[in-house]
Amino acid sequence: MNKLKKKITTAKDKWKELQENKYPVIYVGAASCGRAAGALELVSEIEKFVEENNITAKVIQVGCIGPCYLEPLVDIKMPGQPRISYSNVNQKVLANILKSHLIDGQPYARASIGNFSKEKFMDIPPFFEQPMLKPQVRIVLRNCGIIDPEEIDHYLATDGYQGIMNALKMTPEDVIGVVRQAGLRGRGGAGFPTFKKWTVCRNAPGEQKYLICNADEGDPGAFMNRSLIESDPHAVLEGMLIAGYAIGASKGIVYIRAEYPLAIERLKKAIAQMKEYGLLGKNILGSKFSFDIKIKEGAGAFVCGEETALIASIEGKRGMPRSRPPFPAISGLFGCPTIINNVETLGTLPNILRNGAEWYTRYGKEGNRGTKTFSLVGKIRRSGLIEVQLGTTLREIIFEIGGGVQKNFKAIQTGGPSGGCLSEEFLDLPVDYESLASAGSIMGSGGLIVMDEDTCVVDVAKYFLDFTQKESCGKCIPCRVGTKHMVEILDKITHGEGSPDDLLTLRNLGDTIKKGALCGLGQTAPNPVLTTLRYFRNEYLEHIKEGRCRAVVCKDLIEYRVIKEKCTGCQSCVRVCPTGAISGPRSEPHNLDPTKCIKCRSCYEICRFDAIAGDAIVIRTAEKRS
Amino acid sequence: MTKEKTVNITIDNQRLEVKAGLTILQAARLNNIYIPSLCAMEHLPSYGACRLCIVEVDGIRGFPTSCTTPVDEGMVIRTDTQELRNLRQEILKLLLSEHPASCLFCSEKDECMEFQGTIRKVGYTTGCRYCPNDHRCELQTITEKIGLTETSYPVYYRNFPIEKYDPFYDRDYNLCILCGRCIRVCNDIRLNGTLSFKQRGQLTTIGPAFDRSHIEAGCEFCGACVNVCPTGTLSVKTGKWYGAPEKEIKTTCNFCSIGCVLKLQTKNNTVIDSVPDYDSPIDKGIICVKGRFCITEYVHSPTRYDSPMEMTPVGYNNIDWEQALNMASEKIGSSKPDESMFIVSPYMLNEDLFVAQEFARKTIGTDNIISAPLLYLSDDFVPYWNMTCRSFGIDAIKDAHAIITIGFNSLYDYSPIGIEIKKSARNGACVVTINHKETNLDMLSHSSIQAEPSLWHDILDALIGDKRKAISKTAEEVFKKEHIDIEEIRKLFSSAKSRIIVLGHQSINHPKRSDLFHKIEDAIEKKSWGIIMANPYTNLMGMLLMGAFPGIRPKDILLEDPRDGFLNLKSGIFNPDLNKKKKLIYVLGDVPADLLPDCDYLIYQNAIPGRFSRQPDLILPTTIFPESEGTILNSEHLFMPVNKVIEPHMDSKQDWWILQAISERMKKGKLKYKNLQSIQTEIKKLIKGYPNNKKRIEFKRLGISGVTKTKVDKYFPIPDFTRATHRGIALSDVVSGMKVIERSIDE
Repeated sequence: MNKLKKKITTAKDKWKELQENKYPVIYVGAASCGRAAGALELVSEIEKFVEENNITAKVIQVGCIGPCYLEPLVDIKMPGQPRISYSNVNQKVLANILKSHLIDGQPYARASIGNFSKEKFMDIPPFFEQPMLKPQVRIVLRNCGIIDPEEIDHYLATDGYQGIMNALKMTPEDVIGVVRQAGLRGRGGAGFPTFKKWTVCRNAPGEQKYLICNADEGDPGAFMNRSLIESDPHAVLEGMLIAGYAIGASKGIVYIRAEYPLAIERLKKAIAQMKEYGLLGKNILGSKFSFDIKIKEGAGAFVCGEETALIASIEGKRGMPRSRPPFPAISGLFGCPTIINNVETLGTLPNILRNGAEWYTRYGKEGNRGTKTFSLVGKIRRSGLIEVQLGTTLREIIFEIGGGVQKNFKAIQTGGPSGGCLSEEFLDLPVDYESLASAGSIMGSGGLIVMDEDTCVVDVAKYFLDFTQKESCGKCIPCRVGTKHMVEILDKITHGEGSPDDLLTLRNLGDTIKKGALCGLGQTAPNPVLTTLRYFRNEYLEHIKEGRCRAVVCKDLIEYRVIKEKCTGCQSCVRVCPTGAISGPRSEPHNLDPTKCIKCRSCYEICRFDAIAGDAIVIRTAEKRS
Repeated sequence: MTKEKTVNITIDNQRLEVKAGLTILQAARLNNIYIPSLCAMEHLPSYGACRLCIVEVDGIRGFPTSCTTPVDEGMVIRTDTQELRNLRQEILKLLLSEHPASCLFCSEKDECMEFQGTIRKVGYTTGCRYCPNDHRCELQTITEKIGLTETSYPVYYRNFPIEKYDPFYDRDYNLCILCGRCIRVCNDIRLNGTLSFKQRGQLTTIGPAFDRSHIEAGCEFCGACVNVCPTGTLSVKTGKWYGAPEKEIKTTCNFCSIGCVLKLQTKNNTVIDSVPDYDSPIDKGIICVKGRFCITEYVHSPTRYDSPMEMTPVGYNNIDWEQALNMASEKIGSSKPDESMFIVSPYMLNEDLFVAQEFARKTIGTDNIISAPLLYLSDDFVPYWNMTCRSFGIDAIKDAHAIITIGFNSLYDYSPIGIEIKKSARNGACVVTINHKETNLDMLSHSSIQAEPSLWHDILDALIGDKRKAISKTAEEVFKKEHIDIEEIRKLFSSAKSRIIVLGHQSINHPKRSDLFHKIEDAIEKKSWGIIMANPYTNLMGMLLMGAFPGIRPKDILLEDPRDGFLNLKSGIFNPDLNKKKKLIYVLGDVPADLLPDCDYLIYQNAIPGRFSRQPDLILPTTIFPESEGTILNSEHLFMPVNKVIEPHMDSKQDWWILQAISERMKKGKLKYKNLQSIQTEIKKLIKGYPNNKKRIEFKRLGISGVTKTKVDKYFPIPDFTRATHRGIALSDVVSGMKVIERSIDE
């Protein structure tokens, strides 16, 4: 313990140096989202600039701070100044920023989004007061985008590993008691009280027990777990130590999908650092607790996020779920008692053990304590990774944090392919496990997809069901065959070949699959269809009875035309059309040949944004069917 | 006596007391409560995929499957509510939408059966009447039981290519309902692992991984998967279109000495299928390709003799038994005992052998009863027999911590031995395989050594010999080439409490077998190794017990007094003079063609033409074991019944009848056996407990008195000896599939 205490002191000194920097420090948001926006190119530009101009500066790649719509984010902290954050930085703006701020010492306010102090600084508002961040309560994400994820010292300096130190002073039963008092529920989707699962495992007979971190995150559009691991891996690992200690496990495994190479790399580095600091191995910090962590990569199967399929995958078998009982907490990996916790559940634990259960209960509400991270994406102005208290309404999330929708709000999809689409009437629904379930959806792992009038709900339902059908392991009949039929029917409807009976068939099929399927994948697969049927029945009927897709998405039901009166002949659409369906000389209204048109929407998008002509291309649905 | 733990449960308002540890489905079946299921099966691990066996249980959310849920004290279960019925119907409808089942709902289905004679041979199955499994299909049964009369879901014909290019059974995965039984039996029961699920979603199908063929993937063609398939996906080529069998009769397989129990299914006096008995104590249902798939083509081979035949200058003439028997008795009567040669087969039944030895001694007047093992092994017959009679039961393998297999491959034979070795290896036993080619045990073994047979005795010596004794140079070279860690193996062996050597039949025919046999006897006597013989000669023990051997009378070899352990025979017995020309040779079954001396007259008694360098003068057709009645002695030294399952083919007769009938026409040495019972009565007088012995029969060991002459110098190249044979007939000559799979071993 003393060895660590010394390291903590050193770490805190290092951190102090960084905060009271004597030389410029440049932070670049270079998690996967930042990299996708071009952050790595900016890093090399910055390094080149700094070298060419003989400046002693430190460049740190940090994780994701949340507002992905502002990526790439570049922060500059000059000595004596607060950290200033620049958003949507491209190469040209970067050059200006570096010259102005780094060389002339003047923040380039035009491109700045905020400063990291609590007050305004030279007309730049505080970063965390911006409307997207202000309502958020950042507990799990507290370090993301702030610290260097590859530096264990940064984590130690911000009170990291305090949680496990506190836990080791208690008995494992007491640790479970703290988690019970805090009211933590599993953040992977089911929302099962964490302490209950732990208690079963603790009491189960067996010498060898396992703790598995489920980092498979298969939901399309969800990236909360990825961001957390890339930005603050030690939070998750400390959580594993705490959980392992509580249940009596000596081995921990992180099951992470192979499609997250940066996260895997960061985990490996973090684990190696933990070993160096005596936080892994035998008798951790002088206690009787021994723990080791291994990484197991997935191989591209959504179903392996399911508990028993995940266990089968680690055992080297085909990832197919099995019936329960026996439950993994009693007989799991290699027949030993096993607990599987989600990345976010584990990431919350250090905070609870550091600040106490009572502190955690201040957030959220009775039965739904604490906070939850969400990936807010879709047709929303401000998309990104957010963390809010449980009980926050959808309206708050979408319109206050998310900045609302550009066009007209239509629906919000929660919980990924296992969840449902909720319509406008649910905007005041509080986001908690029970409320969402009663509306027919689920909390899921935290994906929130916002849809506007340009989204066809039938198409969305088909998309999710197609995903589930392709990912189905094939073991049980209801899921394998039932979802196939549902996809076929939805496909027919989107091609305008549906019949009114189809809606009843869909509902019955959905019912059968929900009741008959073996695992969670099958049992929740019909949810998107069932919720859209419930809340957007009219859209289905329009497709079937009128052959009309009001969101003008379903290709067989729509046709593209040029409005000659509005067309200015700017040729923008001609340039983007992949099949050459649009033709016409400059400054004359264009012609669109429907036989060549593949309905890719490129012309529509570009015409909509061009301020000059705007809306000259229009999509009409087919004539009413007789 | 401790009472078994039981729990009290309620099923459909019925209070029941059932054994703890059962699943709800098992408990229901034991109490005659019907719950439909397709993927659950006795002897297979539970799976829970078809979702038809769902029930309602108080306290458990949703609809748990009864095949995976264990019973608990006080459980309240409902199996037949309206909701369950509806759900089962819906699930069955979904299942049938993947399986061409138009006939199930067609109003013409009964008429159709009458009028379509040839439609069954259509390539693609689009309905029950076209399916090779019609009337034997579990899907048909369940649809009736669940009461499904219509479905509105379209049928998706998945368009998989029909797989017909492997031997013995065809596969049509368009009919597969993915119940997973075949995979479970292949992986968990047979420990083979050829089959697995491939792909996912609606593309899920079954087969070997990486698109390999079944032969490449190591399929043993044991047919266990075909047995458990509930639909017509897997169908035996020879039994396909027969429909439900008329009878199912148990008998004992005659293809090797293990003596597995087979249940032969027959229809129209034809053997249409052969299925294992999972409750049989010796083989536990693990049988090999020979007993499983070869019987139909062997017994009903078009090459079988229909009637006795005599050779004439212009070819063979069919004659009747009267003529044949007269000719035989005339020829035998006119030859002196030392001018004739009488050869029996170790594949014959006990009763046939008993009569044969009496025929030889009384009717022909000779004690020189030759047989193939005597000719093949000559002096080495003694150690071979001594190892055989000291051979442990197959059960001993599971307690062994050290196992060496020599010349043994259980890919296409000796499955009961092979499976026990695999299970032992899984549980941590140290298994070392020695063979001239790969074996199917290599993957699970600690080390596998491939070397020429002439080096095997050296290798064995090095493995189990004294640490202080130096390893021979040749053995050392082999170990280096094969990367064997000899020190580690020796350490594991010396600390093993129970050790067993398994000797396969590849060891019988090579130049240094004598050294090998003696090394093994050494190991048994001085180093506490046990031996298990994988003996291809089905009834070798019966042959000696019945006295069909020179110098051994019936019962002589029986060990009644432990002090009386040895039976000494003159050395000349093992080296008959094969150079002198004989006047008459009378062969029952097999002998290698080029070992036969020249003769004036050859009588051949068997079911199928053999390979002869000289054509027989008189042919007497016999029955094959499904047509015979009697007993054999199996590897556990117990009498096993061989039951008559079908009527004999045309004019063929069982061996003892022919010998009896010939003897009746002789001047002296007439035998008195009118029927099988009379033979059995005679044998009963000699052997206590026959034919229902519950206790293992023990045998005396053999010894040679007198000077041993130089051994016969005849050894056959190994590939020839790997052909599976029965009474001298190579199975690959009559069963096309055997040719294919045996060729794959040679390559």
